[in-house]
Amino acid sequence: MAQASSEAIVVRLPAHVDLHARPAADFVRTAMGFGAEVQVSTGEREANAKSLLSVLALGAKGGTELRLSATGDDAVAAIESLSARVATLSD
Amino acid sequence: MAGPDVRIQPAGGLPGGGLGTDEDRVRAAIKAADQGAGVVILGDLGSAILTVRHVLERHGNGHVRLADAPIVEGAIAAAVTASADMPLDDVVRSAEDARGAGKL
Repeated sequence: MAQASSEAIVVRLPAHVDLHARPAADFVRTAMGFGAEVQVSTGEREANAKSLLSVLALGAKGGTELRLSATGDDAVAAIESLSARVATLSD
Repeated sequence: MAGPDVRIQPAGGLPGGGLGTDEDRVRAAIKAADQGAGVVILGDLGSAILTVRHVLERHGNGHVRLADAPIVEGAIAAAVTASADMPLDDVVRSAEDARGAGKL
């Protein structure tokens, strides 16, 4: 049986992309593709990466550092995929 | 936000243009929204909820569900969850989780 694993990384939102509804939806959809529990934190606040409203309430502006952390069998894949997604978010 | 594959059907108002909720409109909206994986209904309050409950009591199955959720936040959360091809239970839950979500 696969061991549940944990993974975390810090990524930065593109400078011109605030985490408003559309990019947040793209982010959340990516997170939903994994079974792992995924959290996203700005330092001040933390959100469930699979909850659009929770991610929106972060109020993250372009250029903000986001700490992504995941726990679960596919945590590593989830973090790889999400960090790539953050880098390519657009308005 | 949720893309073109999630159907969102409005069903507010009476046929004559008045305020209220019409059962036939609700049934037509359910039919129009249904692509096989389930339908989640969001209502504001009052007659909207009463009418939907009435429709589901007579024609309900587990496939069409009324979410206990705020209409705008719940609809957006549900639509994004549905667009990720998540199961109906998850779509309903994401709408209902909106009850506790702050905007700030």
